[in-house]
Amino acid sequence: MEGYSLIHFGARFVAAFNLELILIAFENLEVRYAATAAPALKGLSLSLERGIVGLLGPNGAGKSTLLKALLGLLRPSGGTGSVLGVALGAPEAAKLRSRIGYMPEYDALIEDASAYEQVAFWGELSGLAPETSRDRAHEVLYFVGLDESRYRPVSGYSTGMRQRVKLAQALVHSPELIFLDEPTNGLDPDGRRRLLDLVLRVHAELGTGVILASHLLGDVERVADQLVILDQGEIKAAGSMENLKKALAGRVELKFLDPLEPEQESALSELGQVMGNMNGLYDVQMSEGDPTRAFQWAHARGLTLIQLTQRHDRLDEVLLRALHPVAQVGN
Amino acid sequence: MRFDLARLWRQKIGRFFSFIFLLILLIQVGWIYTKYLMQTNQAFKPLNEFGKGLFTQGAEFQAGLLNPTMYLLWFLVALVGGGLVARDTLYRVRPLMYAHPVAPKDYLLAKLGFASALPFVILLPFVLLPWAMSLLLAGLQGPVWATAPLRLLPAMAISSALMGSLAVGASSLAATPRAGIGWVLGLVLGAGTLASMIHGLTGIRAVDALNPVMLAEAWPQLLVGVAHPMVAWLPAILGTAFHLALWTFVAARRTRPSEAVI
Repeated sequence: MEGYSLIHFGARFVAAFNLELILIAFENLEVRYAATAAPALKGLSLSLERGIVGLLGPNGAGKSTLLKALLGLLRPSGGTGSVLGVALGAPEAAKLRSRIGYMPEYDALIEDASAYEQVAFWGELSGLAPETSRDRAHEVLYFVGLDESRYRPVSGYSTGMRQRVKLAQALVHSPELIFLDEPTNGLDPDGRRRLLDLVLRVHAELGTGVILASHLLGDVERVADQLVILDQGEIKAAGSMENLKKALAGRVELKFLDPLEPEQESALSELGQVMGNMNGLYDVQMSEGDPTRAFQWAHARGLTLIQLTQRHDRLDEVLLRALHPVAQVGN
Repeated sequence: MRFDLARLWRQKIGRFFSFIFLLILLIQVGWIYTKYLMQTNQAFKPLNEFGKGLFTQGAEFQAGLLNPTMYLLWFLVALVGGGLVARDTLYRVRPLMYAHPVAPKDYLLAKLGFASALPFVILLPFVLLPWAMSLLLAGLQGPVWATAPLRLLPAMAISSALMGSLAVGASSLAATPRAGIGWVLGLVLGAGTLASMIHGLTGIRAVDALNPVMLAEAWPQLLVGVAHPMVAWLPAILGTAFHLALWTFVAARRTRPSEAVI
């Protein structure tokens, strides 16, 4: 995969020197399917840097609408935005799609054609010359590990192989940015791991920006360095994965030798916000300071603290807290 | 891969149609050669005198160069054109296509262009070969007019565009290529039946211009100057415009990006 095309070299050069740090930016972006319909995206404002961005949200959250708008298939009804420096809705937005790769969630493969034929075809549609497209098809199919079976019709492929064909077609024209929609759908754990490894390699070796939409939080957690949580057409949380996890830092689980009296339970709020109570195991978001001060707090009240566990931050909690900020996680 | 011609060939149906079209072409060419022999060879003189009464060398003969193939061509267009859009629908390829630098109008024009070019290319030798033979063997006095292609090629273009638009429009309504074939045949035969029924009920002959098969047959006749028994100029223009507009509109609506579920 080394140095196979000028476009590829260009993409790596851009990535290596961070020439285009901002992949996507939008301000008050609003999208409606009809003039009278309620907006599917409600005034989104966001700026995403080059990297792997996880796009999370339940069904109907607006993920697909956002992808359509970013691909230029839907014209924004309000606000402004840009992808790779090209304004959304601008006349040159159609050409922008030759700089973007898209891996759809569903099977978009022609069953009786081989992987090689399909990938070469999509390369041509992206603007590559036929000969270049054929060469690139061989290269990307080798990259995704399908070099042995590239001449077989895809009807005989396993789910994992089909996903890799879709990834290959998204990469064939050396895009600067790829959209992956549920790339690990239907894969077994090993297949998921291998595909996510490929996604990491795509970013690390080719310098391609990645937007990964997934319901599988573990997948996003594994590869993404930025996260956007969408719900009902609004951004509920966005930022680097590290910062979002920090939002949950200081979560501890406390267990006492004897059950707490009601007044002792309410006094727990001195330590921080009580997020839940599962059979005497209190989930507490410590307000500040060293978590071990819980021992001093218990000692002062004559209580015996028999367990203090630092909770590991998990992405599903970030998601749940973003989607349901009022709900007490754990109850 | 793109237009599924390989599948057609693999399934032998393409070979069958090639054979039939070739046969028709050979018969037509042989016919012209026979006419030439009868006109130039003295041995055939009595036969020639007899044949003069039977063989038409006027406008009807020119229009007839295309007619024998028309019905078969509709079937071929249904077989190939029926799957053109439906196949993309079945494999959900269209949304992915629009995620590339392909505009919906590019997609539609490519499909319409192919579906119309196919019958045009098949019809081409039926006009050009007899015309060239006639010119070579008998010059301007030959059975095929020297100006015949100037009249027949536009007629072929109109008839082919009619076939192409109907095939693509019908295919866009179907979810599978097989259903697409059914849609094309159903619409072609259904429109013809409907036109005949209305004609029968009302006695208005112009309604026959709703029949796409009749329209495709009428254009070569109208352009070489033969009055078609069922379809006159104005109904032919209106009927063709109606079909072209309707089926292109249907195809455009059914292949919009908003119909593409990502």
